[in-house]
Amino acid sequence: MATSSGPVEPVGPVGPAAVISGHQDFYPALLEAPDSIHLLLEITTAFVVKWLAAQEAVDGPFKRIAIADYNDNKKEGIGMKKKAGKELNRRTFIKTSGAIGLGLAASSFGVPTLLRAAPTKIKIGSIQPVTGPLAVIGQGQRKANIMAARQINAAGGIKSMGGAQLELLLGDSESKPEVGRQEADRLIKDGAVVLQGPFQSGTAMAIATLAEQRQVPFVMDVAALDAITQKGYQYSFRVFITAKGLVGGAIKYLKQVTEMKGVMPKTAVVTNTADPFGKGMSGGFLKGLEKSGFPIKIIDRIQYPLGIQDLSTEVAKIKSLKPDLIFPVSRPGDSVILTRELYKQRVPLMGIFCPGSPGWYEPHVVKDLDKLILYVLVNVPWVNPNSTVYQKANAAFYKAYNQILDTNSAYAYTGTLVIADAIERAGSARADDIVAALKKTNFKDHPVVGGPVQFNEKGDNIGAMTALIQVQKDPDYLKRVKIVMPKEFAQSDEIVFPAPPLWER
Amino acid sequence: MTRLYLFLAVLFAVLMALPLVLGNYVLGIFVMVYFWAYVGQSWNVLTGYTGHISLGHALYLGVGAYATTYFAQNFGLSPWIGMFLGGFIASAIGLFLGFLGFRFGMRGVYFVILTIAFAEITRLIVSHMEALGSFTGIFLDFDPSFLHFQFRGNVPYYYISFGFMVVSMVVVRTIERSRLGRFMVAIRENEEAAQALGVNTFKYNMLAIAISAYMTALAGAFYANYIFYLHPNSMFGMATSIELILRPIVGGLGTIFGPVLGSFILSPLSEISRAYFSKGGLEGLHLILYGVVAILVVLFMPKGVIVYVTKMLNPILKPETARQGKRGDDADGR
Repeated sequence: MATSSGPVEPVGPVGPAAVISGHQDFYPALLEAPDSIHLLLEITTAFVVKWLAAQEAVDGPFKRIAIADYNDNKKEGIGMKKKAGKELNRRTFIKTSGAIGLGLAASSFGVPTLLRAAPTKIKIGSIQPVTGPLAVIGQGQRKANIMAARQINAAGGIKSMGGAQLELLLGDSESKPEVGRQEADRLIKDGAVVLQGPFQSGTAMAIATLAEQRQVPFVMDVAALDAITQKGYQYSFRVFITAKGLVGGAIKYLKQVTEMKGVMPKTAVVTNTADPFGKGMSGGFLKGLEKSGFPIKIIDRIQYPLGIQDLSTEVAKIKSLKPDLIFPVSRPGDSVILTRELYKQRVPLMGIFCPGSPGWYEPHVVKDLDKLILYVLVNVPWVNPNSTVYQKANAAFYKAYNQILDTNSAYAYTGTLVIADAIERAGSARADDIVAALKKTNFKDHPVVGGPVQFNEKGDNIGAMTALIQVQKDPDYLKRVKIVMPKEFAQSDEIVFPAPPLWER
Repeated sequence: MTRLYLFLAVLFAVLMALPLVLGNYVLGIFVMVYFWAYVGQSWNVLTGYTGHISLGHALYLGVGAYATTYFAQNFGLSPWIGMFLGGFIASAIGLFLGFLGFRFGMRGVYFVILTIAFAEITRLIVSHMEALGSFTGIFLDFDPSFLHFQFRGNVPYYYISFGFMVVSMVVVRTIERSRLGRFMVAIRENEEAAQALGVNTFKYNMLAIAISAYMTALAGAFYANYIFYLHPNSMFGMATSIELILRPIVGGLGTIFGPVLGSFILSPLSEISRAYFSKGGLEGLHLILYGVVAILVVLFMPKGVIVYVTKMLNPILKPETARQGKRGDDADGR
């Protein structure tokens, strides 16, 4: 710190702190008793700030200040930032000097490596579609990320790093890939050592590539398209189930249910909305079904536009085809219209088996359709309500945000836990250490249906699986949706199949 | 004039030197500034100079991106070559659209609808073509090398996008000073009058749309290898078409510096305000701010910000014209 006349003389809070505690004890205490060191440094930082202000009062405003700043960005290391006194106003200087005081003095004492091993804050970048068409989901995702980080901090932070706290840096992808990429770059600049997000597969791809370019680990909490992890990227990991896994789950449960019940449906009709999601999901399901050799004949595939108001002709056609099963890929609106129309036209069916789409489990749909939606089977990634992790997280989430921790936000929550677990085991915030720890992840205490989170060589979670849920009788409509498979997660032992006709309930 | 060129030279040197001091993130902002400036400039060639409003320019951006990627993935063709092929394909589509529009005298809103329709049709076709990744889009491989148009840091992207922008300005300047440019402006001001004076309006309209489409398609190749993900909705969608025209409108239509200035205003605005309001609790405020600025500019500066900037800078940069009074305005940033 140069005054108007004096020579360059490094000042900082560590020097006084070391003198107070004794040099011999000071450095070991950084690791062994970080809390007391933090307290001590806070006091000495306040002292240095006062001292600088006093010096300024005597000597006049600083003309040049050289700050030896420990830089978190691993590629740049320790850098010297120079600013003219004019540009740096006094308030921000005092503020910054307090904040970076630790690093400032540490580098002048030549101990940056020690500090690197135990930073007080570990920054995680969370990029979610907080605005744009997916805003509602994106905000839920962000809230779940925030809650998980807060809970980890409240429980003592990252213990292997002296109780280091997680700091969540927030980014908004605006539901656009290019914005997601730019936001990720911003968070990396701000010091994020891991990225997580981003709900949409496109944005996930953009960020995965960026993560590879910048060599920063990226944990996808939700993003389903298979292709993202097919590129052999080293820094990307996915907690969510892949699209292939989703379809595989549907066929697996279809086999299990029919075998268990000893009922073999012979024919089926696939219905889907003719939008990208509907076509893709039903197309994938049809392909998977054909490959699996499951002996059911798909006699027709009926597609209708998204947002349709009347399905009477489609249902009349289904009735004439006399299928045993319907595999609908729908959205909440048309699932209601379809079911009502099946009831009106009295179409005899063994049941409705949804291979994976919204429209069959949302509370308002369950309430609206009441008896008509009973016994529908749906294959879907789902939360695990039996686990204490879920129960606690859900209660906290409800308390904090007045909303239920649904599948998406539960996966977002899991993502943050997985990251924290990896950092805990790595004992370091360096990218390569975190990647190495992520590769060895075996994380059981999560709130979703599935095995322990373990990543294969592509970075996909081999523990991820879907659940088979069925809407069953219960006076409280909020409790009607029940997991029936797999057994270890089941909330109800009974599976109703074939279902009684819609009009005899 | 010498002062103006001196100013531009200094600006050029400063921008060239920026990567020496800036990190990846800030360079990323500049990349987007240059990218949108370039695309806006390409659109400007058609709409700014001939006055035919295209609201479907995302079409050419998408064609460039998809064509380049398709050639690279299936034939191993370097994007450096593929992008020019993409440009020709986009030009061909533009010429077909132009033929329908100009040959049959579709003007004003009818031409606008035609351009939207073409973009939407292409979006739907691509959404259903397996070879182009259909609705899931195409994920590009990341394999950094100059030949693949892919790089680790943002510095190469910075220089490439900067080069794109500068070249587009030179091209537009050249067009503007040529016979072609004069005819185009004549068409914009009064197509019938131009025709009556012997301008082959059909020919020059067609030329304008071909050049505009070609230039836009080149940007598509850049986008593909910068973002690494192509989706029909984001490449051909209406939102992109609108995003693309905002900058020249804010900056100033039918001028060389308009799209560039507009981009230097809007891109950092959205970036900085997003970063600023991202702390939580104020989600979306940056979008409102963005909209408000766009509305204010259109309300109070209908000719674009460039007019005011030239008025302000003219006495300094062009003292000789400023002294002659009104002529200085006329020679604004064009």
